Amino acid sequence: MSALWPIILGSGWIVGAILVIFAVLVLRRFLDERSADARKQEDARITRSYLRRVAGHSPEDEGKRWSASRRLVAVSHLQSLLRGGDRSRLMQIAEFDGLLTETIRRSTSISVSNRVDAIRLMQRFGSEACIARLRQMMARDRSYRVRLEAAFALAATSALPPPRETMRVLAMLDRAPNRLDMALLRASAPEYTDQLALLLKDDLSDRWHAQLVDAIGWSRNPSVAPLLEEAAKRSSSEIRCAALRAASKLGQPCVEEWVKARLSDPESEVRVQAANACAALGLKSAIGALTHLRNDEHLWVRLRAEQALEQLAPDLLSIVGKAA
Amino acid sequence: MNWAHLASQTASVVQQVIFATALFCFAVVLLRNAIGLAQLLVATWVFATRIEPSEGARDLWTRYADLALPVTVVAPAFNEELSIVESTKGLLALEYPEHEVIVVNDGSSDATLDRLIRAFDMEEFHRRQVADLQVTAIRKTYRSRRYPNLLVVDKDNGRKADAANAGIGFARTPLVCVIDADSIVEPDGLLRASEPFMHDDGRLVAVGGAIRVANGSKVEGGSLREIRISKDFIPQFQVCEYLRAFLTARVANAHTNTLMLISGAFGLFRRSVLIEMGGYRHDTVGEDLELVTHIHRHMREKKRPYRIAFVPDIVCWTEAPASLEGLANQRARWQQGALETLGFHRRMIGNPRYGRIGMLALPQVILEDLLGPPAELIGYVLIPAAALLGILDPMAALVFFFVSVVFGCGLSVGTLALEEHQLRRTPTAKDLLRIGWAAIVENFGYRQLNLWYRLKGVKRYLKSDSTWAAVPREGFNA
Repeated sequence: MSALWPIILGSGWIVGAILVIFAVLVLRRFLDERSADARKQEDARITRSYLRRVAGHSPEDEGKRWSASRRLVAVSHLQSLLRGGDRSRLMQIAEFDGLLTETIRRSTSISVSNRVDAIRLMQRFGSEACIARLRQMMARDRSYRVRLEAAFALAATSALPPPRETMRVLAMLDRAPNRLDMALLRASAPEYTDQLALLLKDDLSDRWHAQLVDAIGWSRNPSVAPLLEEAAKRSSSEIRCAALRAASKLGQPCVEEWVKARLSDPESEVRVQAANACAALGLKSAIGALTHLRNDEHLWVRLRAEQALEQLAPDLLSIVGKAA
Repeated sequence: MNWAHLASQTASVVQQVIFATALFCFAVVLLRNAIGLAQLLVATWVFATRIEPSEGARDLWTRYADLALPVTVVAPAFNEELSIVESTKGLLALEYPEHEVIVVNDGSSDATLDRLIRAFDMEEFHRRQVADLQVTAIRKTYRSRRYPNLLVVDKDNGRKADAANAGIGFARTPLVCVIDADSIVEPDGLLRASEPFMHDDGRLVAVGGAIRVANGSKVEGGSLREIRISKDFIPQFQVCEYLRAFLTARVANAHTNTLMLISGAFGLFRRSVLIEMGGYRHDTVGEDLELVTHIHRHMREKKRPYRIAFVPDIVCWTEAPASLEGLANQRARWQQGALETLGFHRRMIGNPRYGRIGMLALPQVILEDLLGPPAELIGYVLIPAAALLGILDPMAALVFFFVSVVFGCGLSVGTLALEEHQLRRTPTAKDLLRIGWAAIVENFGYRQLNLWYRLKGVKRYLKSDSTWAAVPREGFNA
């Protein structure tokens, strides 16, 4: 008997505790629902007050003490609706109201989730103080996820550090690249094209080399075309593929000849990328070579060549289809 | 030896057998609930420490749209004439940088194909199949003049696994999302489910997402317009079950790298891995469980590092059976599918070569699906009977009641509390109370009925019954 009582009592306690927690949550929801209308009206008042201040009028309900979190919600909502001077005035007012201080305080929270929330808010503020704090977090936060989020916030505000620093801080070279690394490098490209080109001279693995070549294509800078052409001659097929992707993105006519030349690359994945690039660049002069690739030994090359032809010469494909 | 002595010895043996069986039943139920509690605690930890999908990352994702791996959504459809057009519209409207929708008409005998052809202005078009995974014949393929990312494949009937395989065979994108034609995917469900691939270094092969019961909700144009809770008890019970399964069990299993099931209603897979494995198995009624088990087996036998992830956010809504008949068919089929999967992959069970899948995950499936249902049902009868006969301490019957029923209530309500605290997708406090009440009531009758249906599944498995018992649906907004 004595051995069984602890099981009954233990289960009873656990279940009792769970029921109490649930009851509290239901009550919280009930109270939230009851106060929803009043809250909505108050939110509207806060929003109106900020809008008036942005327009230079005196605020409604001056002297009202609204909580920082409620005001932050209103500012977050408004900043996504306002543009240009109005938006920066709103953010300045929010800073004067101490909302930024509150957010920066949150960015030192022990919880990773809270720090990430603070990063998202700072990204919205986008002021110099926020960018400075984001840089600090990207460089020194103990959590990789937080450093990564800070990097994305900086990228969104066009304030990423040079790519070599980004790669070092996020320890990119210690692991295989992922698609987020790719996004960050691409985001660096317009501002740091020369530095990406310099990085290509480092002793990096082919995978990372390919990522850098890919990113260069997003620089919108036609002077990188020779670099891509050089990359398209490298022995690594991964780098050649990246060069073709970058050329598609760059969209410069000077890449035409070497892109077409890759249609006869010995590696099937490079031929696939070359067919994609021909379609993306609208190279009608490649129609002959693409038609030839419809008989390639590799299925994916045939499929991509067909897709490219569908785009470049839809009539030709339907004639061939009917003949077949 | 006299008769009296023999009778006394027989009685003693019977008593010992009853005692041992009762003890076994009790141990199984206790272990199942202990695992349930551990899963609830792990899930609470996962939710408490998770970082919600980043808007910053999403912003960049939008800017560099080609970083999001293109996805083909494969929707097998059989006799779906009433809903197929709306469902397909919903799929075409999904937020994703690049996705193709392949609807596979699995030999429907109604007007499913005609409806598609008329609604989307389809024309016959020869599309080369990349991999031939289906066992039945492909009749025709159609493309839409208005929606370049829609393809309809018409084939002979061969059940869902075969239709999904046909669709996978036509896919040309790195990722394939297999859904049920009547699933309602959240507008950004695909985006959220594919987010783990953004952090992936090449090891991620599949992602599952949380599914919720849509009965009672308002559905328009293939999208969920308003979440409501059905007024009937059977769908309400299933809301609790789905929450338990997706928000605690799967979250915890994914956290411990022992996820064994990605629901057939929504699963995102790397196409190359599915093709290497030959797609879904055709000879089972539990193709979704079998597929994930097969992925584990395939990757471990090839000694390739891999990962299967789970997104705890709700990505998809599905219609649960509203009648007992439908429920019985569904549960029997799930049970049969689980047993078939255990049979196909029995060499993995307890085999250290398959790591924690062989040593932990599959034994857990055995506990849940093989031993659990009969042990609990027998326990309900045997333990009180043994107490009445004086074989067991009457207190034991009370303990069994506490461990099975009272504790079961606690786990269900605990999952609801987790959902309310983290996701808040139950519309109102009143609905929350209704579901909370259902979470308690389900332990008095519904739970036992389910165990019975699962025993029917065991019978079907033993009889190798491969007939597909359809689950009657009422349709959304019914």
